[in-house]
Amino acid sequence: MSSSIPPWRATASVHSAPTAFPTSATPAYIPVQARRSLNHNKPTYPTTNGTTNQNPSSPADAAQPRVAFPPPVRSYVQRCFAPENEIPSVGNTEMQEKLRQVITDAAESGRLHTIDWDKLQLPQVMIQNERNKILANPSVSSWAGTSQPSSPADASRKRKSTDNLDPSGSASPPWRKTNNRNRFEDRVTYPTTGKKNHIKLDESSKSKANLEMRRRRFEGAGVNYGNPSTSSPIDSPRPEVDQGPVVGRSPTLEKNYFRLTSAPNPDTVRPLPVLKKTLDLLKKKWKKEGNYGYICDQFKSLRQDLTVQHIRNEFTVNVYEIHARIALEKGDLGEYNQCQTQLRVLYAQKLGGNPTEFKAYRILYFIYTRNWTAMNDALADVTAEDKKDLAVKHALDVRSALALGNYHRFFSLYLDTPNMGAYLMDMFVDRERLSALAAICRAYKPDVQIRFITEELGFESDEQAARFVLEQSSPELLEEKQGTVKLLTGKAGLLFENAKAEAHRVVDIKGQI
Amino acid sequence: MFDLDSRAISVSASQANRVRLTMSGTLLNDFIAAHLYESGPRLATVFTPDIYNDNLQTFHELFEPIGLPDDLRDKVFLPNKKQLKVSKAEQKVWVEVFVEYWKAVNELFMYQNRQPGASAVVIFNAWKKFVNVLIRGYSSPSSFPAWTLPCLYISGKYLRVFAIKADAEVVSQGSASFGFQDDLAADFEKNGNLEEAARIMNRMFTLCLSDRAPIEDSRKWGIYNTTNLLFKTYFKINSVGLTKNLLRAINAQSHDLPRLEAFPKSHIVTFEYYVGVIHFLDENYIEAEKHLTSAWRMCHRQALKNRELILTYLIPCHLVTTHTLPSPRLLAQFPRLEEFFRPLSNCIRKGDLVGFDRAMTAGEEEFVKRRIYLPLERGRDIALRNLFRKVFIAGGFEEAKDGQPPIRRTRVPVAEFAAALRIGTHATARTRVDTDEVECLLANLIYKGLMKGYIARERGIVVLSKNNSAFPGTGV
Amino acid sequence: MSNSTDKTNPAEQPQQKPQVLEEDDEFEDFPVEDWSQEDAEQSAANGGNEHLWEESWDDDDAAEDFSKQLKEELKKVEAST
Repeated sequence: MSSSIPPWRATASVHSAPTAFPTSATPAYIPVQARRSLNHNKPTYPTTNGTTNQNPSSPADAAQPRVAFPPPVRSYVQRCFAPENEIPSVGNTEMQEKLRQVITDAAESGRLHTIDWDKLQLPQVMIQNERNKILANPSVSSWAGTSQPSSPADASRKRKSTDNLDPSGSASPPWRKTNNRNRFEDRVTYPTTGKKNHIKLDESSKSKANLEMRRRRFEGAGVNYGNPSTSSPIDSPRPEVDQGPVVGRSPTLEKNYFRLTSAPNPDTVRPLPVLKKTLDLLKKKWKKEGNYGYICDQFKSLRQDLTVQHIRNEFTVNVYEIHARIALEKGDLGEYNQCQTQLRVLYAQKLGGNPTEFKAYRILYFIYTRNWTAMNDALADVTAEDKKDLAVKHALDVRSALALGNYHRFFSLYLDTPNMGAYLMDMFVDRERLSALAAICRAYKPDVQIRFITEELGFESDEQAARFVLEQSSPELLEEKQGTVKLLTGKAGLLFENAKAEAHRVVDIKGQI
Repeated sequence: MFDLDSRAISVSASQANRVRLTMSGTLLNDFIAAHLYESGPRLATVFTPDIYNDNLQTFHELFEPIGLPDDLRDKVFLPNKKQLKVSKAEQKVWVEVFVEYWKAVNELFMYQNRQPGASAVVIFNAWKKFVNVLIRGYSSPSSFPAWTLPCLYISGKYLRVFAIKADAEVVSQGSASFGFQDDLAADFEKNGNLEEAARIMNRMFTLCLSDRAPIEDSRKWGIYNTTNLLFKTYFKINSVGLTKNLLRAINAQSHDLPRLEAFPKSHIVTFEYYVGVIHFLDENYIEAEKHLTSAWRMCHRQALKNRELILTYLIPCHLVTTHTLPSPRLLAQFPRLEEFFRPLSNCIRKGDLVGFDRAMTAGEEEFVKRRIYLPLERGRDIALRNLFRKVFIAGGFEEAKDGQPPIRRTRVPVAEFAAALRIGTHATARTRVDTDEVECLLANLIYKGLMKGYIARERGIVVLSKNNSAFPGTGV
Repeated sequence: MSNSTDKTNPAEQPQQKPQVLEEDDEFEDFPVEDWSQEDAEQSAANGGNEHLWEESWDDDDAAEDFSKQLKEELKKVEAST
């Protein structure tokens, strides 16, 4: 380990690199001699693409890693068979079949050790969910995770390998026994590809009185929604092969959603002209009946038909946008997020639609989920041109106000939110009120008037502000003096701090990728 | 190396002859020597697909898949059977490895020579077969010994390279595959090959982590390198979340792994860097700083690019955790970092809010690209703290009472902070600075511990802490 | 994100920006596998972290100036209210 020249100077150029080792100067072995004369300069051997060879190994049968099931897998299996986990409507055979599939998949994809088995749904639950799904009850959105079982939500714990015992004392890697130090690494220039977002969320709908209020406020405003939203399974399995576009020939406007497991039958797929009528019908029905479950299911099948026919145009964008708005309005963020993810792809192809409106939502959405990595991507998507857009600018300002803890600015922005962004802001405004109260209680002594809280934190009245304070703390914090109500900040201690932590924690669990 | 755009090489007959005469069979000789000395690195050179390497060219021209099994038996294994400890079962797999390797290399040369049918996707698929066979070599009962691991690593490294090329090709040809999933699922299109590569690397990961052999001959020694490959890959496909599964798996096995320091530094520095960045992206700056600092300290001094990358994240971390700035001396060594951080640092130091905002806007694109925008933004608090600190200093001292040391004036009107803010933001006569907003900024600094004291709203003053602790850590 | 096949006119190029994300962000493979602590960033010759971070961030030279500036600004504000 004591070479005096920095190795990369010596070997900087791979092209010219001779091997770093003595060539056959002093062979301790019998070297290979040239065996046959070379008749051809150009390789004529057929390509690897299957055209060759008597060589029987295919990647599929190759490499079945030694399978030693780790304890979490074993305990998972045990749980499958535990009587308390039995689901009467799911037969044992069916469950075992699913179980086998789950484990085989994991083993084959090399994920036995990476899946979080403790969190993975039991096969009987998966089956039940699949059925529910098929029964077209879109409010069941427990799909997430069936095919992507390992939830990264409970992030990494700190590695503590440094304090491990090292079983063999001054161990060193086996390939270095002979102290051959090496340069097996080369420099490579990696090409780049664009980046992409992988957001998979499962947010169950959150119904809040607030939301309902907001909805009413919006009704009648010229928001162009009229449609239902559908949800799709969060993780579709990777397609094995390119099937090529289907050309549909179903004339039926309505269609329940079924998850495809094989190529679709053209008889059940609606062509574009029919789908356009479907959309009109769905808009009408949504306005008239407002049946979210029905609408969601219908939109899902609508989206599916577009996908299998490879239809990507302005109509597609329109469908996703309408769906996204309805989901927003209903507070179904899981559904909304799927549309948003697809919209991002569609906008990148410049097919029309309202990209800035949705870029703004996206930023607000990631504030809510506190997904900073995704937020960074969202910021990267914003162009200088976009920043001139009112909604985008608003969302960016909201973000930066929160990042700096500027609640004063945040709440004045809150009261002035364009488009449907307020539905999203409603999702986190209470959380931010708690953050602001935590700061205020720490900074102001001995008290502040409740009117100050009302104004600073965007409440509609002193009563509403007082009620909020009371819900989160205790009555002793409010005091009436000479006709004015005061918040005794000096006595709040960690009350709001804890409430704040609690409020943020909840989202952490639900909101992580 | 594998450079699509550089001049195509073609070996003329005479060149080929010369090569054959002087270097015939060198690749196989390396293979023998590697086994003889149990040198993983040497073995890895055998399977490094560097098409500019004469040895590889010779190998490619001298052999062909049909003859390879006999050649290897007659020229490599039989004559050296006393010296080489390679079991029959192993030999069999090595033969397959060489055959698949030859085919993949053949595709590389075809591609380089722009022959019909050649493509990056075909190369990737051929290389994938090679890797799969190699992996089988480690999975079978008579597994390849652990000293050969560098060869597994090199195969994974190029699997990734070729996958990226293949994806780029797919995208550029617009030939992305479309499945029958419900949504457009663009990820599949853009990173399909790389995602497939990741699944294969995941098998390598499991192969290393789950090896039960005694530690001195265990594949556990390959765990960090394999993990690093996956880290890079997950970052590339923007699935940083998946890295946590790896960390969890490693953590669960940590009692069986050698000490971190026992691994070669290249493995550990890379690993620590990525773990640091992973925490960084989660805004877990304290933990991030620990790992990045460790990577920084161990990093080879001449690895400039890597040192710069480590600092790119370490500097924002440090700003957030300790509110201190990089020294000019440090920045001077890295022109690009100097460009990033110098203007910001200057504005933070001076409490120049407008300058800070400008520097953030100017650097925004780069900062967002490096994913450091969000933590750097927090530097504004420090700039603000420094501005308000100047107000405190400008306030001077209370009248000293009989012989006591002078005490700074600790009751400062909010109006003074407001005026300072007007200066810091270059407010014109007509801009209004809202007192409530000034208080909000003060409240935040107090809440974050950057200032000590409280706001007495009724009286319109801030009461700051005495005893040199109004602005903790800054000497006043 | 953006699909490089899309046919946009160059005027709309800003959309392409994210494509270059992470361009040279990748940690490089080291050309050697291991090295001694003397070759590491923090070697004995190199001391600890002392010179990495700026200890004195303050620029008190300007304190006088600032004090004046502040007084003027305060006067302005008072005058206007």
